[in-house]
Amino acid sequence: MIVGTTKPIKELIAITDPYKRILAVGCGTCITVCYAGGEKEVAVASAALRIARKLKGGELVTVEQTIKRQCEWEFVEALDEAVANCDAILSFGCAAGIQTLADRYTDKPVLPGVNTQFIGMVLEQGVWAERCIGCGDCITHQTGGLCAVTRCPKGMLNEPCGGETPEGGCEVDETKTCVWINIADRMKKTGELEQVQHLVPLKRWSLSHSGGCREIAMESMQK
Amino acid sequence: MTAMKKLLEDIGLEPERLEMYNLSSSEGVRWRNDILEMLERVRKLGPNPLRNKETVTS
Repeated sequence: MIVGTTKPIKELIAITDPYKRILAVGCGTCITVCYAGGEKEVAVASAALRIARKLKGGELVTVEQTIKRQCEWEFVEALDEAVANCDAILSFGCAAGIQTLADRYTDKPVLPGVNTQFIGMVLEQGVWAERCIGCGDCITHQTGGLCAVTRCPKGMLNEPCGGETPEGGCEVDETKTCVWINIADRMKKTGELEQVQHLVPLKRWSLSHSGGCREIAMESMQK
Repeated sequence: MTAMKKLLEDIGLEPERLEMYNLSSSEGVRWRNDILEMLERVRKLGPNPLRNKETVTS
């Protein structure tokens, strides 16, 4: 899932300051699950913005609408009428949602309500962890199903850097276990430990964001 | 509660205006004391600055 965090309310107050009527749009998928921009967060942020404006002696009207996914045209269409009646759109979707709105509504300012953080998973209630940087060339079959590209701060692909603590903590962040120790432990359990000694070939970084903004076209699914 | 108090502070209202008390229906004396405590606190803070402004609506 895409993990994000709601922007600090002070920042939202500042970026919405020029507008009098705002459409606050929540997203019902990833950003709802991480409590950053679902129906509830949109309602709380909208109320806070209205009160803050009122305390300054101004007036702000907010219209709230949460759609299933902000990153797909089919769902975004439902916003057409509300968008026509607002000065600006405050999107609580991830950056993909924000840009989908910007692409569709070319004559309205689109403001971000969320800081998009990473592709990750839920570790426990209220805790999320990054698990993928979207390198475009997955090698987890060679690393025990764990992504060293993402989870090693140095991006070591073939073994630990050697800086791990005696307890197995990462040199960069000792609160985390060195992912290469996790990889070795896991591959031992699955009987794959020998494979860890096979060198991972040079990665094709041109497939990652380093090669520029990516697009995927699946011919079989295109009209 | 921590998050809501922080939110109130960030938008310009005193976080002390908000409090949550957990008590059962049999704790009448505690209920009274909690109300008096909150009443005293609100009196010190003064009127809600939004009170004389128009209703805040969505």
